[in-house]
Parts: sequence; structure tokens; C-alpha cells
Amino acid sequence: MEHLFEILNPNFLLRNSFYVGLVIGFVCPQVGIFFVLRRMILMGIALPQVSNAGITFAFLMHTLGWHFFPHVESEKAMALTGSIFFTLFAIFLLAILERKGKGFTENRIGFTYAIAGAVSVLFVSWNPHGHSELISLLKGEIVAIPDAYLWATFAIYGIIFIFLTGFHRNFMLISFDNDMAVVMGKKVIVWDILLFLIIGIVISFGVMAVGPMVIFGFLLLPSITARMITRGIFPFCIVSSIIGVFAAFTGFYISYCFDLPIGPIDVALLGAIFFIAYIIKKCIPGK
Amino acid sequence: MVNMAENSCINLENVSIGYRGTPILEGINFSINSGDAIVLFGQNGSGKTTLFKTILRIIPPLQGNIIYNSDPPQRFGYVPQSQSLDEIYPFTALDIVLMGTFGQIKPFSFTPAKSRILAKQCLMDVGMLESKRKLFSELSGGQKQRVLIARALATNPNILLLDEPVAGIDVDAVRMIMDLITMLHEKHRLTVMIITHESLTIPAWVNKKIHIKNNAVVVENAK
Repeated sequence: MEHLFEILNPNFLLRNSFYVGLVIGFVCPQVGIFFVLRRMILMGIALPQVSNAGITFAFLMHTLGWHFFPHVESEKAMALTGSIFFTLFAIFLLAILERKGKGFTENRIGFTYAIAGAVSVLFVSWNPHGHSELISLLKGEIVAIPDAYLWATFAIYGIIFIFLTGFHRNFMLISFDNDMAVVMGKKVIVWDILLFLIIGIVISFGVMAVGPMVIFGFLLLPSITARMITRGIFPFCIVSSIIGVFAAFTGFYISYCFDLPIGPIDVALLGAIFFIAYIIKKCIPGK
Repeated sequence: MVNMAENSCINLENVSIGYRGTPILEGINFSINSGDAIVLFGQNGSGKTTLFKTILRIIPPLQGNIIYNSDPPQRFGYVPQSQSLDEIYPFTALDIVLMGTFGQIKPFSFTPAKSRILAKQCLMDVGMLESKRKLFSELSGGQKQRVLIARALATNPNILLLDEPVAGIDVDAVRMIMDLITMLHEKHRLTVMIITHESLTIPAWVNKKIHIKNNAVVVENAK
């Protein structure tokens, strides 16, 4: 209980990582529902890895003295730019190939995942200085988050949440029944691009803060669990975020009490919630 | 300015349809008049659905003109094959029908009460109001089809296009669906166009039959 009061204290030393975790736990499942419903779960694995490759590439460039923006020396700005560029490039390339219908989706995504994972490791190994920070990122150790990044997370994820809820009907309609959306006069390509843009930004920004493993966990596991235990699209969306926030809060508490890395605890907790929900569902007759 | 017959809704003039520049059917000429009941026949893969989607503006024609009468404006109610919709979505029957009202709801707003009332009315029209809270994936083939017809009705259409509405459903459900379409055509005065490859299900009120045979479209007046 003492630890809980410490965590909730506004002057708590690790409050930034705690708040960022909660925001990610709340917003990522809202993006993740589209991964689950559009059957793009494999993309949810590959894109955080691609984002990570973008970060490692940017850190390497920074170490070598080459900057994306000549007047901005911040490593974080470089890394975020790398992450966004790599993620958006990959997501739109995969979407275009999907639309052209050449080859198999699984092959393309598997290829992307493997290459992104390999180049991430290579970029890290070529980088004499960024090694420890990047390893922390890969392990999901959400500890050192500066104030500026916390406020940026609030702003960006807040705007994304407003967009996702405000245009929820259009995103659902184009995802569920593309033809009906066209018949109703919706600009399907515009909505698709907007959705992919949102996915790209959420992943890029999230991976910068908590690493690819945690983002993947928060994108998919809350939605998969909520899908199993809810009826109707509205409860599905609400419960996804509730699970995400609960896991982020409880994960942080456990991690703080037992001095364990936050990211893996969060993901393990999400897995545990899934299994508990599954068992309860199986035990309730008629469900 | 294009001249159209007084009661003509849609005119197809020398239209070619297909995908990626490859035509499936060419030289299609026919018109859909207000109050028509049309059945479109053809074997699997003959181009029925492609023709449907071209009329619905889902895919553009490769050649020729499709002229839509703008007085009154043509509002399509589209009923796809239920098998074409993914059951992973946890939509209830009411969620599905509400989609038909999305055109009238502004972004960043809650679903208005009038949309909910309209959706429930449409569900009642197709005899599915009691199942409004059931998941779409839990419904039988015939029930799914009725929910999709309710969704099309919620768009307030003047033309109803149904893509194989009785495919893969049992005999009782076929009769129920065809009775429902008859009611919509006769009581609501909807222009109806149905795709089917099952000639047994053609109702007596059909006034135009369109056959797709050997890459040709043949129009036959049934009455």
C-alpha cells in the first residue's frame, strides 16, 4: 500500500514513465482494435520492429555526426524522425503491395519483420555509444522519460484519441464493408490513409518511449481479450482500453514493488488477463 | 445535358466492365426504370457482381457511359452477400443496421436518437427487432440477410440492389427473404435489382430479366 501511495504522489520520481505507460495503455488498444478486426496482427508485430530499426538508424547517424535537421542536436528528435519515417514508409509500402495483390501478405510481413530485426541489431552493433540505451528500449525498460516527452505524448496521443473516436464510424465502416462505404459516398482511400497515418504515428512515438515489445503487447492483447468477452462494438472498444490501462497501472506497481523491468511485466500481465478471461468465459455456461 | 426517359433511373450506354483494363463484359445497354423489379442471371464468374459494382460506382466502367437520373437523386441500398463480411467484427444486429445511418451522422457526435429509432424501425420491418442485441456472427444465413436488408433500408434508398440474397440459405429462409423483397417492392415502391444464379427463386412480380451468357448481356421483358 505504501508503494501505491508513492506512485500516486505527484512528486514521484518515476511519474513520467508511469503516466506515459497509462496513456499508452489507454490509446494503443484503440489502434489495436483495427489490427485485430482487419486481421493485420502480423503487421502489428512487424511495424514496431520497423520503427525500432528507424530509431537505431537515427542513433547511428547521430553518433556518426550526421543530423536530419542541421540545427537540432537532440538525439530524441533524431530518433523520433527516424522512427516515423521508417514506420510510415513500411506501412504505406505494405498497403500498396496489399492493394496490388501481388504475392502473399504473410510473406511480405514476415520478410519485413526479419529484415527490420536484423538491421536493428546491426545498427546497434555499429554504434559505439548508443548501445545501452537501445538495449533498454528493446527490453522495454520505461524509466527515463523527460518532461518534454511526457507532454508530447499527452498531446500526440490525445489528438490521436480524439481523431479515432471522432471518426470511429468511418474507420469501422471502411474496415468492415469497403463496398458499402463507397456506395455511401465515403472516400475510402482518404480514410485508409488517415488510419494508416494514425497507426504509424502511434507506433513510432510509442516505440520511442517503451520499445517494440511493449507496443506490440498493448496494441494487440487488450483487443484480443476484449473481443473474447464483449458483445457489440462499443463495449469492445471501451473494454480494450480498460484492460490496457489496468495492465499499465498494475504492471507499474508490480515492477516498482519487486524491482522488475516494467515492459515485460506489462506484457506478461496482459497475457495473464487474457488467460483469466478465457477461463472465466469457458466456465460461464452459454458464453 | 443528357436526355433520359421520364421514369428512367439509370441508363447504361455501350458500357464495358472489368478489372485493371481487362474487360469481362462489353457493349452493355439497358436502362433501369423507376419501379422496376429486375433479376440478373448468370453462371459463377460470368460478371454479375462486377456489373452490380459498376452500377453502384464501386468500380469504374472501362468504357461507355452510365447515366444516373438526378431528379430525384438515386440513393442506392446495397445488400452484399453475407458471406463476404468478416465475422471477426463483434457487431450486433443493431450495430450493423446503424451503419446505414452513418451518412446522416456528423463526425465527433454521439449516435442521435433518431438514428437509433430508424435502425430499430428497419429491423422491425424485416422481422429482426427481437434479435437486435445478438451478434451478427451468431445469426443464421437468412437472419444475416434480413439484417443486411434492414441496413440497406436505413440508408433511405430508392433503388435496392441485392447480391445473391438467397445463396446458401435453407428453403424456409429463401421464402421469407423473397416475401420481404416483394413487400419492399410492392408496398414501399422500391426499384429492386437482384443477382441470382438460381432460377427457381424468381418471383412473379419481376418485370425484367437480364441474362449474362457467353459474355453477352441479354435483356428480356418478363411482363
